[in-house]
Amino acid sequence: MKKILLFILSLFYFTNLHAQDKLTVSGYVKDAANGEGLIGVSVYVQEMKTGTQSNTYGFYSLTLPKGTYNLVFTYIGYEKVIKTIDLSAQDIKLDIELKDDSKVLQEVVVSTKKADENVKSLEMSVNKVDIKTIQKMPALLGEVDIIKSIQFLPGVTSVGEGTSGFNVRGGGIDQNLVLLDEAPVYNSSHLFGFFSVFNPDAVKDVKLIKGGVPAQYGGRVSSILDVRMKEGNAKKPQFSGGIGSIFSRFTYERPIIKDRGSFIVALRRSYIDILAKPFLKDDLKGSRFYFYDFTAKANFRMNEKNTFFLSGYFGRDTFGADFGFNWGNATTSFRWNHVFNNKLFLNNTVFYSNYDYALQSDLKKENKQDAFRWKSNIITYSIKPDFTYYPNTNNTITFGGQLTYYTFNPGQAVAISGGVERAIGLADKFASEAALYVGNEQKIGSKVSLQYGLRYSLYNYMGKGTALQLGDAPAAGERRTIIDSKSYDWGQSIQKYGNFEPRFAANIGLAENNSIKLSYNRLVQYLHLLSNTTASSPLDVWTPSSNNIKPQLADQIALGYFHNLADNMYETSVEVYYKKLYNQIDYVRNADLLLNPNVEADLLFGDGRAYGAEFYAKKTRGKVNGWISYTLARTERKIPGLNQNNWFPSRIDKTHNLAVVGIYDMNDRWTFSANFTFSTGTPASFPTNKFVWQDIALPHNYYDTRNNYRIPASHRLDLSATRQNKHALFEKGTSEWVFSVYNVYNRRNPFSVFVRQNENNQTQTEAVKYAIFGSIIPAVTYNFKF
Amino acid sequence: MKNNILILFITFVSLLLVSCEDVVQIEVQDGVSQLSVDAVITNKAEPQTIKLSLSQAYFDNSPVKPALGASVIVFDEDSVAYEFVDVKNNGSYVYDAKTRPLNKIGKQYALYVKYEGEEFVSLSKLNRVPKIDSIDYKVERFPIKPENGPQEGFLPQFYATDFEGEGDCYWIKAAKNHKYFSKSSQISVAYDAGFSPGSKSDGLLFILPVRLSLGGELYSDKDTLTVDLHSITKEQFYYLQIVQQVSANGGLFSTPLSNLPTNIINRNAQSSKKAIGFFGISAVSSMEVVIDKNKAKPKD
Repeated sequence: MKKILLFILSLFYFTNLHAQDKLTVSGYVKDAANGEGLIGVSVYVQEMKTGTQSNTYGFYSLTLPKGTYNLVFTYIGYEKVIKTIDLSAQDIKLDIELKDDSKVLQEVVVSTKKADENVKSLEMSVNKVDIKTIQKMPALLGEVDIIKSIQFLPGVTSVGEGTSGFNVRGGGIDQNLVLLDEAPVYNSSHLFGFFSVFNPDAVKDVKLIKGGVPAQYGGRVSSILDVRMKEGNAKKPQFSGGIGSIFSRFTYERPIIKDRGSFIVALRRSYIDILAKPFLKDDLKGSRFYFYDFTAKANFRMNEKNTFFLSGYFGRDTFGADFGFNWGNATTSFRWNHVFNNKLFLNNTVFYSNYDYALQSDLKKENKQDAFRWKSNIITYSIKPDFTYYPNTNNTITFGGQLTYYTFNPGQAVAISGGVERAIGLADKFASEAALYVGNEQKIGSKVSLQYGLRYSLYNYMGKGTALQLGDAPAAGERRTIIDSKSYDWGQSIQKYGNFEPRFAANIGLAENNSIKLSYNRLVQYLHLLSNTTASSPLDVWTPSSNNIKPQLADQIALGYFHNLADNMYETSVEVYYKKLYNQIDYVRNADLLLNPNVEADLLFGDGRAYGAEFYAKKTRGKVNGWISYTLARTERKIPGLNQNNWFPSRIDKTHNLAVVGIYDMNDRWTFSANFTFSTGTPASFPTNKFVWQDIALPHNYYDTRNNYRIPASHRLDLSATRQNKHALFEKGTSEWVFSVYNVYNRRNPFSVFVRQNENNQTQTEAVKYAIFGSIIPAVTYNFKF
Repeated sequence: MKNNILILFITFVSLLLVSCEDVVQIEVQDGVSQLSVDAVITNKAEPQTIKLSLSQAYFDNSPVKPALGASVIVFDEDSVAYEFVDVKNNGSYVYDAKTRPLNKIGKQYALYVKYEGEEFVSLSKLNRVPKIDSIDYKVERFPIKPENGPQEGFLPQFYATDFEGEGDCYWIKAAKNHKYFSKSSQISVAYDAGFSPGSKSDGLLFILPVRLSLGGELYSDKDTLTVDLHSITKEQFYYLQIVQQVSANGGLFSTPLSNLPTNIINRNAQSSKKAIGFFGISAVSSMEVVIDKNKAKPKD
């Protein structure tokens, strides 16, 4: 390990030596329409046949030998800009604004921009979805949804329609690090999973990293979903919003001080409860059922060197009549961008993230005699400095660290029976996670580029708390006994874990339009979502690694071939991956995961493995565009005590996964789009026999095998049409109607197939196919902007 | 607790969306038929029955095949034997406890079954049971017409208090006009006065949802309501919880199907013939009322 560090340090030194006779051009790339910083803009030096990309804040830096150069700024969906610079006397600061070329597209003028990022970039196993594309795709009930849209990408699935979260390359939903402006979001769903928590009107950029994860990311073993919020229109005040079948949305953005800063506030709320109110009678009167989210962000550019961002998210779901529950996320992140000099960039983030839920039996009217009230949460505080150093055109060095403090409240409840009150509580748990990383992106000649890095994470599970010592289970796969417990004081370390996480990626260019990419990464995860149900529920509890729960580890290798055709009009890729996972969590029979002080005794640990091939072809421009993705995959687990200790397909395993997204921009007024998906059914466990006990037929699997069957395959077609209107309200702005139909040919896609007793004769048995959506779901949405 | 919350979730989701269930045919692998023991007996001075049958293919809906010619004996801790006899030759082995009931509270009872040369044994304990203090009922109207029972009527509640001391478990059985609610969805069990060990309800009045769990139907005027409170072992509490879980395990929040545990052990650990099922003995306290509309509490 030391050798690697030494190697990286020497690179640093080496690259510095040669810097004197070179000069640097740096600056920000922004959207000309609203002043938003643009992420990932290609900056290409024609003379040197090399270049760089703008970072997540739109900042770029290029260090070149003295001379005159043509810089080409290209970005998909924007007009190309060429600037000639004279870099012979001094460093240059060059801020660039790019213009949206959607008009150009519609006039079918084929621009000659070099959008060859697919082939040239180091990134593999990475998918970016343009928010404009997401907005054009047909959506359930017409509600544009980021999490649902990324499920059309290769390697991304879910256990079924309407479930919370997403699965990446066979990983669980808790193995995705979902970041909103760098703060983790612990539950990305409204209404149990039907809608995601991100308001599409406030989202600027969405990036999903499935493999080859750079060293600055850590904390989850499957993927990183990096969601960036809009900064707010820095040019002029703007209202936008819409009314859909579920949400009504409203967004306001404007400059604070001209060219110095801007802000955006966006609010979404479901409104069915307001419409339904007059119709609720008797016991349903006073029922609450709504969900909302509020997103806000402001940025302020103090001077050329310092920019500040403050962003916040607050969302909540509330359901209930007498018995009610609510849950939601809140995140706040404050960021400081500092340009030390034209080669060194710092982004320092401080964030707070909270996920909590509560339920109570006396929501409508307090009951002092008989009640039950319960709360749980996870809170995260973190500071995260990230440096980017641009020593020369061939190297981009990133380094930094992160310090995180977690508090877990696994459940605090009060039960009142017959007027006697009892507090039921699990003690809070505490943990910290520190990480340091360094990485480099290096170009070797014009054909080869490398990205390598190392992350070291140190986790500390600490007091105040109690550590349980568990005995052996009576048999493998059964609940363990508690032998002893030991108390720890505030801040006293109960258990520490440290892990090196090497990361590597390489791009070997074969020709101008094709390349081979290779990556390896190790990822470590110290937090675990305890969930034993098919779809995760909002009540699932996050639990820290402890003396009994080891951190999850994943090693992944991926190999890909990338090929662009017809002047980058078509992007294609094939990737294969193999992933090995360690310390995966499973559960004993009838595990009690809620309000259980001894929950660790109900957990089983084992290994996982996932492998597959992903095929992807995308047409990037033209009147008809879209993509086809196909994934062939396998995900398995091996848990002592389950399935006779053999490998078995995991609950989320889907062999075939096909997704087709087509968009047709017919003219200025109409856009049509279609989605089609096909996927193999997930595995399910069925009994071989039944026996009758107390006149109830009960299932029994003689061989005790798990996930021995598969439910039938799912497929679905969705359509949508968008009509642009000339004006919104009062002859101002623009507006559009979106008509969408979900599940066009009315297929009852099985979410699960399960067995049960016949309702009328409990000694008889039957199998039941359960579909979440049993019909065609049409919807109309109206959006406006002025 | 968890199950109830999840059921509530599912109800909400299905109310809001158009989910649907279809009965389908599926092919499953056949297993090997096994001896199944259904031994739930009580301290009551009345005939006690233990049913022995053979498990069959899961989707084979032909009548249950009885296990005949077995010898079935229950022993108490003092080595007193109570022999169960298959009088009708239908797999129902009966002991008439009228004169000599199995009522030694706090003592262990052992079940011995000999079938086709294999010997099976099981242990249970006759635990204490508190008396039911009272039953009352209030006027109620369900917002939606239920599948069973009236939409308008009386919602009963029984009152009893758990003993001091952690870990008493109970099975609440209710009957309307002497017909017991026997569906898997109508099973109601309590750990102390609550739903689970985590709810720390030791020594309390049974919590409200337990007090109300009397079949889930409304009663009409003149209906007879019987409430039987059975003491059970912790083992049987978990067994009944799993019975509920495997019986209603569809939908968004289903858990992986796994085999029910059994406390029926083959004395020869090497034998490949394993039995399934469960043996439990309960002390019962009962109360019966006839619903009188004039005594009903008003709706709150």
